[in-house]
Amino acid sequence: MNYLIGAFKPSCNISITFSDGKSRKQVPIKKENGHTVMVPLFQSQENIAGKISIEPIQGKKVDHNGVKVELLGQIEMYFDRGNFYDFTSLVRELDVPGDIYEKKSYPFEFSTVEMPYETYNGANVRLRYVLKVTISRGYAGSIVEYQDFVVRNYSPLPSINNSIKMEVGIEDCLHIEFEYNKSKYHLKDVIIGKIYFLLVRIKLKNMDLEIRRRESTGSGANTHVETETLAKFELMDGAPVRGESIPIRLFLSPYELTPTYRNINNKFSVKYYLNLVLVDEEDRRYFKQQEITIYRLQEETS
Amino acid sequence: MISDGVEDEEKWLAAGIAGLQQNAFYMHRALDSNNLRDALKYSAQMLSELRTSRLSPHKYYELYMRAFDELRKLEMFFKEETRRGCSIIDLYELVQHAGNILPRLYLLCTVGSVYIKSKEAPAKDVLKDLVEMCRGIQHPVRGLFLRSYLAQVSRDKLPDIGSEYEGDADTVMDAVEFVLQNFTEMNKLWVRMQHQGPAREKEKREKERNELRDLVGKNLHVLGQVEGIDLDLYKDTVLPRVLEQVVNCKDEIAQFYLMDCIIQVFPDEYHLQTLDVLLSACPQLQPSVDIKTVLSQLMERLSNYAASSAEVLPEFLQVEAFSKLSNAIGKVIEAQVDMPTIGVVTLYSSLLTFTLHVHPDRLDYADQVLGACVKKLSGKGKIVDSKATKQIVALLSAPLEKYNDIVTALKLSNYPRVLEYLDNETNKVMATVIIQSVMKNKTCISTDDKVEALFELVKGLIKDLDGTLDDEIDEDDFKEEQNSVARLIQMLYNDDPEEMFKIIGIVRKHILTGGPKRLPFTVPALVFSCLKLVRQLQGQEENPFGDETSTTPKKIFQLLNQTIEALLIVPAPELSLRLYLQCAEAANDCDLEPVAYEFFTQAYILYEEEISDSKAQVTAIHLIIGTLQRMHVFGIENRDTLTHKATGYSAKLLKKPDQCRAVYACSHLFWVDDQENMKDGERVLLCLKRALRIANAAQQMANAARGSTGSVTLFVEILNKYLYFFEKGNPQITVSTIQGLLELITTEMQSDSTSPDPSADAFLASTMRYIQFQKQKGGAVGEKYEAIKA
Amino acid sequence: MVLVLALGDLHVPHRAPDLPAKFKSMLVPGKIQHIICTGNLCIKEVHDYLKTLCPDLHIARGEYDEETRYPETKTLTIGQFKLGVCHGHQVIPWGDLDSLAMLQRQLDVDILVTGHTHQFTAYKHEGGVVINPGSATGAYSSITYDVNPSFVLMDIDALRVVVYVYELIDGEVKVDKIDFKKTTTASHSAH
Repeated sequence: MNYLIGAFKPSCNISITFSDGKSRKQVPIKKENGHTVMVPLFQSQENIAGKISIEPIQGKKVDHNGVKVELLGQIEMYFDRGNFYDFTSLVRELDVPGDIYEKKSYPFEFSTVEMPYETYNGANVRLRYVLKVTISRGYAGSIVEYQDFVVRNYSPLPSINNSIKMEVGIEDCLHIEFEYNKSKYHLKDVIIGKIYFLLVRIKLKNMDLEIRRRESTGSGANTHVETETLAKFELMDGAPVRGESIPIRLFLSPYELTPTYRNINNKFSVKYYLNLVLVDEEDRRYFKQQEITIYRLQEETS
Repeated sequence: MISDGVEDEEKWLAAGIAGLQQNAFYMHRALDSNNLRDALKYSAQMLSELRTSRLSPHKYYELYMRAFDELRKLEMFFKEETRRGCSIIDLYELVQHAGNILPRLYLLCTVGSVYIKSKEAPAKDVLKDLVEMCRGIQHPVRGLFLRSYLAQVSRDKLPDIGSEYEGDADTVMDAVEFVLQNFTEMNKLWVRMQHQGPAREKEKREKERNELRDLVGKNLHVLGQVEGIDLDLYKDTVLPRVLEQVVNCKDEIAQFYLMDCIIQVFPDEYHLQTLDVLLSACPQLQPSVDIKTVLSQLMERLSNYAASSAEVLPEFLQVEAFSKLSNAIGKVIEAQVDMPTIGVVTLYSSLLTFTLHVHPDRLDYADQVLGACVKKLSGKGKIVDSKATKQIVALLSAPLEKYNDIVTALKLSNYPRVLEYLDNETNKVMATVIIQSVMKNKTCISTDDKVEALFELVKGLIKDLDGTLDDEIDEDDFKEEQNSVARLIQMLYNDDPEEMFKIIGIVRKHILTGGPKRLPFTVPALVFSCLKLVRQLQGQEENPFGDETSTTPKKIFQLLNQTIEALLIVPAPELSLRLYLQCAEAANDCDLEPVAYEFFTQAYILYEEEISDSKAQVTAIHLIIGTLQRMHVFGIENRDTLTHKATGYSAKLLKKPDQCRAVYACSHLFWVDDQENMKDGERVLLCLKRALRIANAAQQMANAARGSTGSVTLFVEILNKYLYFFEKGNPQITVSTIQGLLELITTEMQSDSTSPDPSADAFLASTMRYIQFQKQKGGAVGEKYEAIKA
Repeated sequence: MVLVLALGDLHVPHRAPDLPAKFKSMLVPGKIQHIICTGNLCIKEVHDYLKTLCPDLHIARGEYDEETRYPETKTLTIGQFKLGVCHGHQVIPWGDLDSLAMLQRQLDVDILVTGHTHQFTAYKHEGGVVINPGSATGAYSSITYDVNPSFVLMDIDALRVVVYVYELIDGEVKVDKIDFKKTTTASHSAH
């Protein structure tokens, strides 16, 4: 896509293709203009290679001071828009200054790129990976072309994955014991557990389990937290009595979750919480929040 | 206020149905275009209507049924989807993504059904999962309907033996576990309803609970139909688990309903073999549970079972059913101190019916039951509750119906003791029942002690019991009762005269306590029993070696005399007269002249002193004359005395025509065909002449009174009598006698002052025809008649 | 074909408990057109029972009848026959055919039905027929020994009447029949 500095017609077309473009998995991303496009998916430590083609338009000649392609990993905080913090920046020079008067292709490769963080589009922050092709020109302004790609990183099954079991309550009012089978869940996992009522002296109406995402950006005094409830899953309809045990089976796949991100480049974190909510007949809410870790599980080779 | 509520409910229901139908419409579109995603979306929305709290169970049911129908279509779609390659396991997961739990679970059960059918997983696993997941619905009404849905779709998919879903060795247990689990949860929810809501709405809640009870009971029905449940499994697992829930839920409504369900659903043989367990649960139930009805139901079932085939009877003995039930009833009555009389009686009534069916030959058991009943009733005084009374009547009628023989019932020593507790009215009812039983079965009661026992039982009809108020008795009812007693007396009989006499003695003793109102009904019956006995003895040879105490006609006549005498206090002179005359005839046949004379004397006294109505006198006179005419036992003196009196009475009757007829009837007293020395032609003629004079006088009186003579009928009658004796050969009656009378008649009839009388004319005409016939007969008769000019 | 049931002297309940079961099962409502009863039922129950068999019920008074308003005698016409009924205790000597014939002449009937003796008889003479249906229950009688329960069914057809007598002997119902014809209605001359 052409990114114009001036309001002039583009003088050339730049296309960026990946060498394994046909075989590589593509995932959809939403652009700022609302459109959804498919872009390739990479993991950290992969090679990113391809070809840059520059084709001048209608016999026009492109004079330039050099062509380069950069691989950028960027974090953008929304309160500081336009200000990208590049945590990764790799460059390949493609061509020395000269002209391009007919289509010219430059192969490129970035090998074993460290991309420790995943692509993320959040409430107040986003992290993206992009290939940026720059045709440097002096006074006329450089011609730049971007190609997004997505990075996702997989983890194996955790070696330790304790269940969460806890007793909470309000004195003489409501005592429950809740249990979730794991503390770490992958994106396509199922939360299995139960709520056991030890003491019920209030009239409950129902009980939900919420999945909440807490995105915190900034640090110290400037920390900004944005919480979003991504899932509201009804566990119980009606008033239980002491001794009742209500099963939990919540599939995570329908929800737009991401893995837990802790302290990404000291810039932001994304954490997930299970929020158990009990509502009584007077619409009073009693809740207990519990953090869980979400990870992306290594898929079986298909 | 309440009607507003109902109106609102109608509105909510209508809204619910509208919402449901709209979503169903979109769902159908999705189904038609194989759009799984939309199908799930719209079906979930549709099912959301069932999340409402606004409807009473009755209305909720309507909504539920519509959803149910739609879910059937959805199920079919799911099945199609799996055939098109969609994984059932994926589908099972997919429906669990639904955010609201109620739609989610309905969908899950629906997919579960297809899942089981696909056999990709053992039925038991799917069922277990479903019944567990349903715990999420803790709201009683919604939970009950959801689990009812589960029960419905799983019903034909249980891993029962012989089913296509049969699993491994424990397959039946798995099926049972599933159903029991669902049942237990449903019962808990159902019981929970009792305590929801304000106290003032308790009645409404209980009504709603009753509307829902079959949802819970259905589970037991399902259990009842599991092929794989044998007696052992029932005994070891099913019954104990069900009873555990029943006892522990501590809810009166549930306990009563479920006990009844258990009894109705499971086979009788099972009940017999688990009698201990069942009965031991009874005292553990809430005290307010109507346990008597439960026990009565159980006993009724077992009674029917016993009655169905004789082969099962040994089983009853083997499990000692009788003593177990007996004890259980005793315990229940003891525990429920406030049990009303009807409860006690109902229990014993059921137990008695049971005993009669199961141990028909054990009279001692039946007696035991009655005895236990008496014991529990003691100290309560007479029963006043009408329902309890009805039950006692049922209790006492049972042995009568079963044994078809009052004699057997009489052997039950406690039977009369139960009667003690009945009020007078019911005592009479029972007496009637007993008598009806005797009549229906044509039972002949043949010994004095049995008769004694019988009369004890029916004493309500025999005499006034303490406290009876006269004016309460309806006349027609009273007549009916006494007539039935009279009929009963006919059934008391023994071939042996000594025995029969004893029986008569007992009957007499009892009926004489009946008082003046009853005697006119009962005495005649006894009298005729006696007369039948007399006749029987008559036929027998007089035993020269017979001892003093043996029964003789004389003794019986003595008894008869005293018995008929009792009618004096009623008074019933006409009846007494008839009975005396009957006795006289019987005495005549026994050649007992003084006895016969005595009876006639009594009859005459009654006639002279007690019978004053003219019509009654006429009949009485006919009976006297008719009887006397047949007497051959009297010597001349006695006969003359009696005849003279009879003729005297005849002549003194009120109306002349009656006098006339009685007097000419007396003519037969002087002429008895089969006794040569009894043909006094002169006195016959005297009678007839006297009759004629009376007839004349009657004519004249009629003349004077009306200006025209009365009927000549009397003359024609007398003429016929003349002809009668003429034919018999009475020398005093000559042709001229007859001729003279004929002329008299003819004159009278032709006289102007005589008003025409067609019947008299016809009579004369037929008499004349008779004369002609006789003339035409020829022979001696013809000759006789030839002389008459007619 | 007109069926007339003639019976009497049941003496219920003083001398007999009820009509014999075998008779009861034979007597079905709706089959009989008339009932002639010689009296001594004695109670209303028997009257009501007979009424259920046939509503056209004619009863003469017996001396033990509870209902004292039954007539002493009654006549009726059925087809070509005139019938009369009287209990018979009024006709002395009891059971004497000649005396009964006199009553028949007096009532001017072809068929006279009487009772009282508890003995079945059917007697034909120049004046007509005298029938005694006996006692329907076999009740005790001072006049007759060993009474078997009996009743009579008359089939009246134009000038002919067939009299069927049903007797219960040793538990079995035995039937006998007698034919009567009258020559013409006017002359009353019988065969």
